[in-house]
Amino acid sequence: MDFDIPLPEELELLEANSYFPEEEEDYLNFEEAPYPYPIDVDEEEEDERVAQKETHVRQSESSDINGCKRPRSSMSDPIVNLDEVSPAADKRSKIDNNRIEMEDEDWLRLSPVKEAVHVMEEEEEVTPQETILSRYASEIDGECVPITAPDGGERVYAKFCRALGDEEVKKLDVKANSNSNGLIKDPISVLLQQSEIEAFNKVLQTSSEDQNGTITPETSVMHEKLWVDKYSPSSFTELLSDEQTNREVLLWLKQWDASVFGSEIRSTTDEVLSALKRHSTTSHHQKSDSAFTRKNQFKRWSKESFSYPQKSDVSNSNTTDIHDLWNKKSKLTGPPEQKILLLCGAPGLGKTTLAHVAAKHCGYRVVEINASDERSAAAIETRILDVVQMNSVTADSRPKCLVIDEIDGALGDGKGAVDVILKMVMAEKKNATGKENVDNGKTSSKKERRTAPLSRPVICICNDLYAPALRPLRQIAKVHIFVQPTVSRVVNRLKYICNMEGMKTRSFGLGALADYTECDIRSCLNTLQFLNKKNETLNVIDIGSQVVGRKDMSKSLFDIWKEIFNKRKIKRERANDASGSEAKNFDFLHTLVSSRGDYDMIFDGIHENFLQLHYHDPVMDKTVNCLDCLGTSDLLHRYIMRTQQMHIYAYIPSLVIPIHRRVAQIQRPTIEWPKSYHRCRTLLVEKQESLRSWHHKIPPSIGRHLSIKSFVEDSVSPLLHILSPPNLRPVASHLLSDRQKEQLAGLVMLMCSYSVTYKNVKPDPALRNLREDAASDVSVLTLDPHLFDFISFKGHQFKHHVLALAMKQVLIHEVEKQKILQASGGRSGILHKPEIKKTNQDFARRTIAASNESKKNPIASNPPSASVENATTSKPKSSDVKKASRNALNFFDRFRKSRKDYEDPEDVQKRATAKRDSRPLLFKFNEGFTNAVKRPVRMREFLL
Amino acid sequence: MEIRVKCECGEEECSEWTIVELQGVVETQSSFQGSLQNLEIGRLCHTNSSQETYTFTVGYHELIGSKVILKKPLLVLKKLQKCTDDLSGKETELQVVGIIRTKILFKTRPKPLMSGTT
Repeated sequence: MDFDIPLPEELELLEANSYFPEEEEDYLNFEEAPYPYPIDVDEEEEDERVAQKETHVRQSESSDINGCKRPRSSMSDPIVNLDEVSPAADKRSKIDNNRIEMEDEDWLRLSPVKEAVHVMEEEEEVTPQETILSRYASEIDGECVPITAPDGGERVYAKFCRALGDEEVKKLDVKANSNSNGLIKDPISVLLQQSEIEAFNKVLQTSSEDQNGTITPETSVMHEKLWVDKYSPSSFTELLSDEQTNREVLLWLKQWDASVFGSEIRSTTDEVLSALKRHSTTSHHQKSDSAFTRKNQFKRWSKESFSYPQKSDVSNSNTTDIHDLWNKKSKLTGPPEQKILLLCGAPGLGKTTLAHVAAKHCGYRVVEINASDERSAAAIETRILDVVQMNSVTADSRPKCLVIDEIDGALGDGKGAVDVILKMVMAEKKNATGKENVDNGKTSSKKERRTAPLSRPVICICNDLYAPALRPLRQIAKVHIFVQPTVSRVVNRLKYICNMEGMKTRSFGLGALADYTECDIRSCLNTLQFLNKKNETLNVIDIGSQVVGRKDMSKSLFDIWKEIFNKRKIKRERANDASGSEAKNFDFLHTLVSSRGDYDMIFDGIHENFLQLHYHDPVMDKTVNCLDCLGTSDLLHRYIMRTQQMHIYAYIPSLVIPIHRRVAQIQRPTIEWPKSYHRCRTLLVEKQESLRSWHHKIPPSIGRHLSIKSFVEDSVSPLLHILSPPNLRPVASHLLSDRQKEQLAGLVMLMCSYSVTYKNVKPDPALRNLREDAASDVSVLTLDPHLFDFISFKGHQFKHHVLALAMKQVLIHEVEKQKILQASGGRSGILHKPEIKKTNQDFARRTIAASNESKKNPIASNPPSASVENATTSKPKSSDVKKASRNALNFFDRFRKSRKDYEDPEDVQKRATAKRDSRPLLFKFNEGFTNAVKRPVRMREFLL
Repeated sequence: MEIRVKCECGEEECSEWTIVELQGVVETQSSFQGSLQNLEIGRLCHTNSSQETYTFTVGYHELIGSKVILKKPLLVLKKLQKCTDDLSGKETELQVVGIIRTKILFKTRPKPLMSGTT
């Protein structure tokens, strides 16, 4: 009692020794019984300290004796010591209980001296007035604690000074949070802020009724840990992503339960239980009761709100839970229909996190195959099979859940993963029927499952759902598209994290950051941490320069088109900053387009979609401008392709910007994938092919005057006029007048020489609209190279006369006959060839002439007049076959004559007189007849 | 029985014949009614002496053949019947007309001689 105030000499001595300064303080202020700061040391350390203190006391005692020679009882020493130690110990135990709440032990080790000094400053103002330590409990008002000395058995009572202690804790906590960079410069404001933060934390804690307990243990343990990892959601309720998506993913995972856990639990209950126990003791050891209460709370909540009990928290730590769950669980549910879950969305929305958290939540062990892992199909297949089909022999016997991250990125080298998964799913489907039958029997179903191709959930994660290689997967997988969380949600979380890290931010700045990164929380956090590390503050105006890294900027084509056609709203308050935002917008679009790189596709999309926008354009000014830009891009593209000067590509993205400026609208555009280019291209190829094959069928003497291009561009229409003369009546041929007969013959000749005929085709619904006169027939006779295709355009009704069906049939017949005549006995063909050629050239000439005329007079009547001369030569052929054969003989005579003339000129006269004798003998070749000259001859014939 | 072959020409002067072997038949045109008198069958030409190739033009066919040496030479005989004695009546005598050592074999398909030249 009388040992309250230390002697000055004593102090000096102790300070000179500089022996554990805080112990000094302890010693000096031992009346403040509950020593305030929490001591985070083990029991041994504590003992050690006690011993040290005792030595101190002995020292001081001895000095006392030397100096003042104060009389004192020998008993007081241990009491004092105990007194001094036990409240601390007491406090420590209390703090241990509270450790989960505050857990900031490091500051103690970092700066014990300062703390001590601080404490001393605080406490020197406090004057010990009331009795704190007494032998009799009655002397102490308020709560007291009995303390027994270890050696003597003496008992004293110590007063509880709770209020003071709590205050101290708070102060020290404040200090801990201020990151211990020396003394605080502006203590009042900072303290106020910190108190605000604390209040906020409390609000957060109560609002989300969880989690501070689990997050705080990890804070500041490793200072270099990324915030993204540190604050990644560790349980389902913490997820930032869309609630609906989260639930659906969880539901999907839960559907696996029956097949994955169902019978295994029954067969190997003890194993699983022990494994789970072991697991719970290892991983959840540090978590104290609060964690469990939270879990229970959550479970209750989920039961209430989800209304399906099997979806409640599996809580991999809680074995009884699982047990109950499986007892309750209905047995008949198999694996879900879609065995693959495909999560897609922009980077940083929390796809991977959701997959991990949900899988963990459902009691799976997550095995992740990342894009950076091995890529070859074989390697990936073994890996997937390992994961999906094997049961692990390690201690962690939870079933595995495969998470394939960035599956779309994994496609460059080989679509290994996709192929393997597809294969397994297909195999599954194949024996699905058999499996269902077996599934009723419990034991056999287990066996079946062992061999089943895909018996574990597989979650695939991608950024671009429409990546071409994902197409097959998209059809069989359950697809979830992540949407951006609201900015306020992201900002809330960011704010919370900033507060946890003690970073000063304003919610406005955080909002701007979230806006800039498009709610990419990973990028936000990385930026914040980076800035925090550099001791910079978030600059609201110039966020663009501060955001250091984003995962990948390349977006899907649809996003790019959307950006081009969609005008961003400029906020009113920043209207004065319009020029800056314009520039930013410019940059943004430019980088967006150039990082995608797929320029021709982008421009295709623009071309296809921009006319659908509702922009105000009374004089077609904007449209013309946009088309100019598109034209320029086309020219550039063509030039680049022709000259292979790829560096010119750098100029293409800028062409997007004027288009954006012209036509961008506030409202969301409906963008379609550009299909017209492909459609037109295939159509072009098809038509070219048909034309080319037709061109090959035309005899070369005509075909060489007919280039396909000029034919399509110039002479199709006139030719069609000629091919379907309007004054040809569909009557029997013998009723035709001479003139009409000639006309018909000429037409047949023409069709024959241009190898055009009529053909039976099924009516095309598209064509039916164009040609309604022929549409009534079930099968329509059309020109064989479908020449009408080349003059039929959308919305254009061509004026050509179309022959009647009967006429067409007549023409088919005649053309066939003519063809047969030309083919039969190549002689006749050869005989008439020059004449045919002449007529054809005639016709060709006439076609061009008609093309000129048809412009003035669309239904020209000159074909009959022109075909008269041709008809005279070609008509006998079609009428008289015998004569044709005689012509053939004549032809050979002529041939022979000319040949004879060439070979022996002296025979000419004789040849002229006796033409008939010229070839009296003909040789007839006997194929394969070898013994023609062998005849049996008997000896008798020689002799007689 | 003895067949007597008589060669009247000398050993060197014995005329050499050649077979023209055709794979086929040479026919007369129907307008000649089978009269082969004074009709030209065709032309046999020996082209550029280096190879033993021959062309034979019959009608509007041209045959190309080559000279082949026969494994066994053949004799061309002429059978003569003489009435020498009264008793024996007729006596047959074979007279050598020529010897055949080679033949010209046309075994390929004939090439038609046609062309569109006017």
